[in-house]
Amino acid sequence: MKKKKFWNSSRIDSLFTHIVLIAVCSVFAFPVLWLVMASFSKSGSIYDIEGFFPDTLSLASYKNLFLDTAMYDYPNWLKNTLFVAVFSSLIGTVLVILTAYTISRFEFKSRKLLMKSTLVLSMFPSFMGMTAVYLIMVNFNLINQLWSLILIYVAGAPMGYLVQKGYFDTISSTIYEAARVDGATNFKVFTKITLPLSKPIIVYTALTQFAWPWSDFILPNMLLKNKNLWTVAVGLTHLDETQFTRFAAGSVFIAVPIVVLYFALSKFLVAGVSDGAVKG
Amino acid sequence: MEHPKKRPHLSFPVKASMCIMGTGQLLQKQWVKGLLYLACFAAYIIYLAVMGVEDMIGFFTLGTVKGDEWLGIEGDDSIMMLLRGLLAFVITIFFIGIHKSNINDVRESDRKIKAGVALPGFKRACEIFFDKKFYIAALAVPVLGVMIFNILPIVFMILIAFTNYGGDIVPPELVDWIGFDNFKKILALSEIKDTFFKILGWNIAWAVISTLVNYFGGLGLALLLNKKCVRKKAFWRAFPILAYAVPGFITLLGFKFMFSYGGPINYYITLHGGSAIGFLDIDAGMKAKIIGVLVNAWISVPTSMLLATGILSNINHDLYDAASIDGASKWKQFIKITLPFVVFSTTPTLITSFVNNFNNFGIFYFLRGGLYNKGYFLASDTDLLINWLYNLSIDNNYYGIGAAISLIIFLITSTFSMITYVRSNAYKKEDTYR
Repeated sequence: MKKKKFWNSSRIDSLFTHIVLIAVCSVFAFPVLWLVMASFSKSGSIYDIEGFFPDTLSLASYKNLFLDTAMYDYPNWLKNTLFVAVFSSLIGTVLVILTAYTISRFEFKSRKLLMKSTLVLSMFPSFMGMTAVYLIMVNFNLINQLWSLILIYVAGAPMGYLVQKGYFDTISSTIYEAARVDGATNFKVFTKITLPLSKPIIVYTALTQFAWPWSDFILPNMLLKNKNLWTVAVGLTHLDETQFTRFAAGSVFIAVPIVVLYFALSKFLVAGVSDGAVKG
Repeated sequence: MEHPKKRPHLSFPVKASMCIMGTGQLLQKQWVKGLLYLACFAAYIIYLAVMGVEDMIGFFTLGTVKGDEWLGIEGDDSIMMLLRGLLAFVITIFFIGIHKSNINDVRESDRKIKAGVALPGFKRACEIFFDKKFYIAALAVPVLGVMIFNILPIVFMILIAFTNYGGDIVPPELVDWIGFDNFKKILALSEIKDTFFKILGWNIAWAVISTLVNYFGGLGLALLLNKKCVRKKAFWRAFPILAYAVPGFITLLGFKFMFSYGGPINYYITLHGGSAIGFLDIDAGMKAKIIGVLVNAWISVPTSMLLATGILSNINHDLYDAASIDGASKWKQFIKITLPFVVFSTTPTLITSFVNNFNNFGIFYFLRGGLYNKGYFLASDTDLLINWLYNLSIDNNYYGIGAAISLIIFLITSTFSMITYVRSNAYKKEDTYR
């Protein structure tokens, strides 16, 4: 019998596959690495970094970011972003969970109509009504207020109830019926039975409701004209090439929590993405 | 024989409540409920008298008195009048809803009285409502929010498209209804027409190209990761997930810096004796477009990879075994089994992704925002319709034309959305699973 060659076809295939994989993954990793390294650069301007990576590393950019706030008040941006994101997340989660539970659990006349209209509405790009929102906000003098931002995020949140509804659909209805027979009101059933059973989906909802305002740009840019009210996303876009490492440091600082969050949630990711496919 | 459709006899309280909300309840000695309904009724009548009727008329006239600061005349604010007119109609619809519930309530009580059942007190009635109609209590706030911040803006935008609001005509000038003139301008007025068709052409090309690139990029990556020889899949998958997790505006601004004059790419070009290239400059043309497609791929391929991974894991592996036994090559298996399966199950996604790319505001806003090319009316050669809409309405106050364009975009995308809606069986399946 002929001895098997070392370079048989499956090995060549494997080698080729891994070369392509390494190439593709480098393409994904390189810009991120570049930005992270730039944030540890010594000088502030992009012109001072020779090539992709700085020669010497330092924490100067981070120090500047938080201490040199006369022109670019990053701590204040961070405070505003945190304020908007936390309150949007808290209120938004309550509304999403309530909507999803109600639509999953109850049969009522307009249920189908509600589901159909949210599905059709959510297919339209969210930017569509944005200019109108802007005009309405201007005319009612709600511009330049962090609360109006929260209001818009929270009001739009229940539209994305489908993942949560899918979760509630899996809870067997016998447990509810038993409680109802025992005389529990619907509100009691919701607080005493549903909520304790749905901790994972509540955490997931809270985090996604947090991540959206945390990294949104379009809405705050439109509604916050006052420099003191800028969120991080708005502030960072106002940094030019001479403030490049400040931008890099500010970006890394705000991206790290989100990236960590995504990896922690990666098992939800596929489900969330394939759902997003339906709702757009 | 009695006529089956004969209306039930209306008792006096029911008739009373039909005329004046709440009086029927009062006649039935439902004091609190009756007074509340009566208060609602009074509030609506007072609202109509004080401003409601005026607002509704204002909706049609959009103001008749032009303001003049010199003469001290406080003019009409047309847009405010439009909004308040809209509000008046919404309030009226709500009132009709409350009125209906009022009649139902009286009828219900009437039936109970006739059957000799004691009516519950107000507090008890509230509790019963909250329990029996829990879904109304739970959904009231979400539905109201969506109506105010999603539906109302869309209606408002549609209305604005039929006015001459914008340009020179902003308060204190009076705005007027002008029918389809904005659409005529877009399709006929030379400067705007040329820009519109140029942008529309590029927009469609962009949406097709970037959808295909992202889709097949993601599918290819998923297939690569799915191969048997690739171990530590979680490790390799972490890289695209990393790209997916970085907030979009950071990615886009980062790439803008990378391709800027001082950026690393131009550094190496000048180092080797070349002169710096303005990749994203006003005259960049094709370069900027290609960079846009590639950057968009960097952002979107991970999403489609995750999607394709999920779908690939659902393929029945017996099919491959059977194919191997029949002697089909790997390539043939891919063409005959994998590809049809994946394409079939991702068709709705493909269309959604097309719509999203069609309206991809972020890419060119961040990479090349604020540039206006020659031969374009307030737009650059990479701007999509949605960017043009933003330039027109937010940056330059051309609200009427902007709204008309957003209606056109709405028509184009809703056609595709409707196709998705009809084709996706996610909605139809919904009840078979339950």
